[in-house]
Amino acid sequence: MGERRMTLTDSSIANTQKINPQRYDAQSLAAAIEQRFASAVSPSANEESRFDRTLIVTQPEALPSLAQFLFWDAGCSFGGLIVEEREEWILRYVFRIPGDGWIHFILRLPLATRTVPSISAQIHAADWYEREAEDLFGLEFEEHPRLGDFILHDQVWQEGLAPMRKAFDAGQTHLKKRPKEDWHPVLVVQDPGAFAMPVGPVYEGGIGESVHFLLETVGEDVIRAVPRLFYNYRAVEKIAEGKSVLDALLLAERFSAKSAFAHSLAYCQAVEKIFEQQVPLRARSLRVALAELERLRHHAGAIAAICQSTALTVSEAHAAIVEEQLLRASCAFAGHRYLFGLNTPGGLRRDFDAQNCRNLLGTVDTTSRQLHRLEERLRYSSSFLDRLEDVGIISQESARDLDLVGPLGRASGLAHDLRRACPYGGYERYRFEVPCEKEGDGFARLRVLFSEAQQSAKLIHQAVESLEPGEICAPVTQPSAGAASGWVEAPIGAAMHWIRLDREQKVERYRILSPSFRNWLGLHVAVEDFAFQDFPIILATFGLSASECDR
Amino acid sequence: MSSWFWHGVRRGIQTTRYPGAPETAAGVSPGRPLPTTFASPEQAFQAASNCPVGAISASKNIASVDLRTCVWCQRCHFGSSNLLNWDEGYEWAQTPATKKDYSALHSAFGQSLHVMVVDAGDCGACLHEVKQLNNPLYNMHRLGIFLTATPRTADVLLVVGPVSENMRGPLLKTYEAMPDPKRVLAVGTCAITGGVFGKSFMSAGGVGMVLPVDVEVLGDPPPPLAILHGLLVVAGRKKPTTAPTQSREEA
Amino acid sequence: MAAYAGAALLLFFALCATGLILSSLFRGKYASLAIAWFGTLCSIVLMAAAGLRLAAGADFQLNLWTLNGFGTLSLHLDALSAIFLFVAGLVYLSCCLFAPDYLSRDGHPAGRYGLLHFALMASVVLILTAGDVLTFLISWECMSILCYLLVNYEQGPEGDSTAGYIMLAMSEAGFLAVVIAFLIAGNAAGGYSFGVLRMGAAHLSGTATWGVFLLGFLGFGVKAGLVPLNFWLPRSYTAAPPVFIPVFAGVTLNLGFYGILRLNADLVPGHGIGPGLVALVIGAVTALVGILYATTENDLKTMLAHSSIENAGIIAAGIGAFLVFRNSGNAVPAALALIAALYHMLNHSTYKALLYQGAGHIEAATGTRDMDRLGGLIRSLPALSIVFLAGCLAIAAVPPFNGFVSEWLTLQTFLRSALLPSAAVKIIFALSGAILALTAALAVTCFVKTYAMSFLGTPRSNWESNAEFARRPRFSLILLAVACVLLGVLPTYVIPALNRAVEPLAGANATASLVPPFFTATQANQQLPPAFLADFHNLGAQTGARWVPGRGLVILLRGGEQNPVVFAMSPSYSVVALTILLLLAWFVTSRLTRRRSLVKNEVWAGGIPTLLPEMTYTATGFSNPVRVVFQAIFRPNIVEDTRETVAVHFRTAIRRRRDETHLVDRLFFHPVGTIVNSVARLLAGMHHGRLNAYVAYVLGFLILILVLYRVG
Repeated sequence: MGERRMTLTDSSIANTQKINPQRYDAQSLAAAIEQRFASAVSPSANEESRFDRTLIVTQPEALPSLAQFLFWDAGCSFGGLIVEEREEWILRYVFRIPGDGWIHFILRLPLATRTVPSISAQIHAADWYEREAEDLFGLEFEEHPRLGDFILHDQVWQEGLAPMRKAFDAGQTHLKKRPKEDWHPVLVVQDPGAFAMPVGPVYEGGIGESVHFLLETVGEDVIRAVPRLFYNYRAVEKIAEGKSVLDALLLAERFSAKSAFAHSLAYCQAVEKIFEQQVPLRARSLRVALAELERLRHHAGAIAAICQSTALTVSEAHAAIVEEQLLRASCAFAGHRYLFGLNTPGGLRRDFDAQNCRNLLGTVDTTSRQLHRLEERLRYSSSFLDRLEDVGIISQESARDLDLVGPLGRASGLAHDLRRACPYGGYERYRFEVPCEKEGDGFARLRVLFSEAQQSAKLIHQAVESLEPGEICAPVTQPSAGAASGWVEAPIGAAMHWIRLDREQKVERYRILSPSFRNWLGLHVAVEDFAFQDFPIILATFGLSASECDR
Repeated sequence: MSSWFWHGVRRGIQTTRYPGAPETAAGVSPGRPLPTTFASPEQAFQAASNCPVGAISASKNIASVDLRTCVWCQRCHFGSSNLLNWDEGYEWAQTPATKKDYSALHSAFGQSLHVMVVDAGDCGACLHEVKQLNNPLYNMHRLGIFLTATPRTADVLLVVGPVSENMRGPLLKTYEAMPDPKRVLAVGTCAITGGVFGKSFMSAGGVGMVLPVDVEVLGDPPPPLAILHGLLVVAGRKKPTTAPTQSREEA
Repeated sequence: MAAYAGAALLLFFALCATGLILSSLFRGKYASLAIAWFGTLCSIVLMAAAGLRLAAGADFQLNLWTLNGFGTLSLHLDALSAIFLFVAGLVYLSCCLFAPDYLSRDGHPAGRYGLLHFALMASVVLILTAGDVLTFLISWECMSILCYLLVNYEQGPEGDSTAGYIMLAMSEAGFLAVVIAFLIAGNAAGGYSFGVLRMGAAHLSGTATWGVFLLGFLGFGVKAGLVPLNFWLPRSYTAAPPVFIPVFAGVTLNLGFYGILRLNADLVPGHGIGPGLVALVIGAVTALVGILYATTENDLKTMLAHSSIENAGIIAAGIGAFLVFRNSGNAVPAALALIAALYHMLNHSTYKALLYQGAGHIEAATGTRDMDRLGGLIRSLPALSIVFLAGCLAIAAVPPFNGFVSEWLTLQTFLRSALLPSAAVKIIFALSGAILALTAALAVTCFVKTYAMSFLGTPRSNWESNAEFARRPRFSLILLAVACVLLGVLPTYVIPALNRAVEPLAGANATASLVPPFFTATQANQQLPPAFLADFHNLGAQTGARWVPGRGLVILLRGGEQNPVVFAMSPSYSVVALTILLLLAWFVTSRLTRRRSLVKNEVWAGGIPTLLPEMTYTATGFSNPVRVVFQAIFRPNIVEDTRETVAVHFRTAIRRRRDETHLVDRLFFHPVGTIVNSVARLLAGMHHGRLNAYVAYVLGFLILILVLYRVG
């Protein structure tokens, strides 16, 4: 697709003044929507609203203004876009009402429709979802400023493949790729002396995930950093179609192993909703303990990565030791270093005895103490803080504008955490804090990581110490068809898995809304106008995962 | 600033003694399934049907495992009936069956091996395990193994991931940019047979479909010590192992 | 012998006149051939005249005719003039070899160019051989006007002649200052020939000497390109046609220094060290400002213009050091300083002419001068890339090229500051030396950028390449490149030649103190005791004594009793050693890698399919760190205009225009212009058009004159 000129007016300037919108809950929001968009939105009566609150958008043209109302006036957070191809196109826009759960808006279009109104101008976080839909389904979003060359790189793949469509066979392995000879990247900086320094995809001085950056610069400062992702795209959503529930669970665990337990938990919760399973209490407590163990380990690794990027090797070594000890503890406790193979729809696949739990608590205590001491020492290293403070700043307005999630958003003042906002899986029974910082620079993100690690240790204690004897897994009593969503606060941020099962309990559509996909948007805001040397540090403070984004 | 030195020294030496002595700390390796003898062929058949990727095959009353396909889902370890035996250990590097004429690098590389790591669609686990080799608990630098930033100075190409199609081109370019002599090390089930992603329009189904692989390290993900073993095999300091063919009870 | 020099000089004038007539009579191709042939002959004769005078050791004097009230118009060829004549001849030789191709391509009438060219040559030689003030001033004025005409040679009726106009205006301002200086000196001396002025300099009072110095220095400094009077230089160098600009940079720039040396060192030497310090500081500042703007400039011609300013600063600093040392009684360092300045002038003319011709060649072959759009020329213009590399290395002062020798000598003079009388002077010396060292480093950056961005890498834009033009051999470039190498490798032969001019001015024999007689050790030299010479004999300093004529091949500086350190260097031996080492390395490598195969692969770029030109470094990017570090001097206004944006996230275009005003413009040209404009506006109030007021003006003026006549 070629570059398009945006003809809409700049609506973000007016919107930034509405940082504190009006608070709604689900009923008042539905009433407000009915009042304002009476003809365009109607409630859903059929089985779509069995598990999730759903409203139907009957007039596609109203979609942009509806999005504007929801995101800015009502302060909702945008969850993602789920596109399905059944007898018609079903576009499902997921929103989260602050403090009162999710609400889905469905747009149905005939299959012959090719263009859909774009909501990117109103909700900038929707930009990448629409680009993804365009690349994978072939839908065009009107007046989207930048379509094309997203997942299927223009330089390598033909146009018009639309691999997520039903007619496309995932097994074809010899697709002709016609490399484009005269391909040029779309560059933003138009200075006469500007150039775009390429970094990657095979990159990062040792070990790094495959991401390609074009750092547009005129010499000293990076003016614009354009990431080109999806080098790790393995089409998980496509190859999951037609698999049984347990087989697709393997994919849910393995597309991003560093948050494997969290994603498998979200998947299992979605399936449990469809099968109407009640997860036993013991299983819920253990799930919380395991999820927080994973979060603790992930944050230790993120802290080690930040220390490595600033070349303070002793602190990196300390944090890496903590992470390795947690990996070993996970393996000793649960049988696998990355907690594969534990979750199953209905609960967990194995139980844990008291001695095992005590060992785990011992390791958690030791490591959280070590992390606390590391944080104290880092606070007094001025050369280290110099590299992080006031570097890579994302202001609260930008964070809200781009709807960032996870520790990244919390470091910029967006205090959203799914464990608080939409409690799941037993979190409502435990006491914990959600750390939040205001500055939005690298040091704020580091502080958030340390604080969350301490909270995770507390949660593991609460979960393990409150264990009651009981069942570990609920059996599947009435397998049925249907579609439901399961969500989880993964270590990187809010994640949602949405599944539709058909009558044989095979996966008909599997959608992963991953937090890394959201947070990569924030990178070029943070990197703008900083020197080249700051770029790897800012990248490390973001703590993003390319494989989680690419799926 | 100087207190960092003191804090570092105070922690003492934490490094494992492998390969000088075996590492026995808990949690260092998840272990792997072994061929197991069952009481009856039906039980062996049940054991084989536990596996979602078809890595277990039953003949008579012995269930054996193709570790190159196993994804370590643990379903033959707990939570089902007719479980297999699992062993500890981590020396899991082997040469592919198709590679008849494997030779390790010259002994000059034995104490100085430069490794180029390429993420070809990996989930992050294998890559992270490779990264753990740099931390003080494993410290591959003491064995003379280093990571390079450019393939021009690399001896070994360590590939993780099933080779997503978007990474096929960069991976080939990396291989071509490496000077001779070079070896390719495929780490993890995804890199060996494609893992859960298999062969699809977006996944090549393993590094062997794209490049000639010299040494494979089994596991999903293989623990750091297994990857270290694989690197030592490439360097010629250790011999590649063969897959266990006997069950523990018979051995 | 001196008579032969004079005869050659007169022959030159005859040839010049013939060439002028012939080239204006002929048309087109024949005119340019006439220019080429006669110009070459004239240049060779000129160089011969200079050489004969240097060999002769006696001056040539020719009285032309006597005018009532103005004295005798005469020609006087002495050693200083001979050096400048030689440089002029060399540059003109290369230009005449270079000119025909350009003239036949341009479409402009070559005859007109021939007329101006020969007239300019004649006026330059007249300036350099003038023996009295009137000849000097008349030929200077002719030279200014001819330069103006030549700068605007390529501008048609609708062309932009602002650059030439500014140059002419500044030339006239400088000329006025020079005239006043000569008037003051001549008034005190009672006559206007150079001999009379020289003798009458003693009669000048201190203030008058300062006045002569300042007016002369600043007046000639306009032509020499010194801060703050050089804002015309980048503009007119960029506007000048490529066929003329090597002359501009290699000959007329030197005339400013000739004037400074003639007036302030020879005719009216002065006694204090104040004038020298002024020259030194202005020179150092000029050098720094010049190289800073050169490093951050992307247009080849403008960059070379700023680099000329830098070199002019170095020469001026050398002259300043010479004046300081001479007037504080240190004759030997004074000689060293003047040798350094003259050597640098000689080198600058050579490599700057080479670089300008190279730049003209690049522009003709590719159609663009912008380094941000060039690249990869080493593949399409291989021969030019070699000679251009020689020029870049020479100007970056890399041995064994000539720039190294003169930089070394210049920096060595600044290390002699221990001999100076007072601490304040020592500090000024040391600071100026530090600034010159900084400019040397920045010069390397500048020319690495120039060569790398123009010749190496991949082409950054598409241009129509003029292959047939590119393939023709360029003898002028090869000649200049060979000259660069020879001047760098054989400095011990150049220094005695320069010494002929330096010795009368400085009062010490530079050859004796710089070039030890390792080859002719039997001749005793009171400054170098035999034991010292014997030490160096053991180091091999007499190698080649049997085959190579001359005093020796080592340049050596010896500190005094307070500073018994020896600084020595020998580019001649270094070249030999370097060649041997390179051959040895090549031999060993080829033996060791005989059985290895060579695999050629593309550039490693992280695995992307192709490395596109927009992903390679640009000239702007390369020099950006310099721009950032010296931001206080550049003071750019970055105008970030037209961001077509929907939101922070959706920027589709970022354009940042950088508006910079040159430092000299900002601090000098614009304020002066504002003042002049406001004064003019005030005076314009007088011209209101009322006849009665005008009559009143006349009446008032008449009364004033009558009163003055009555009083005076």
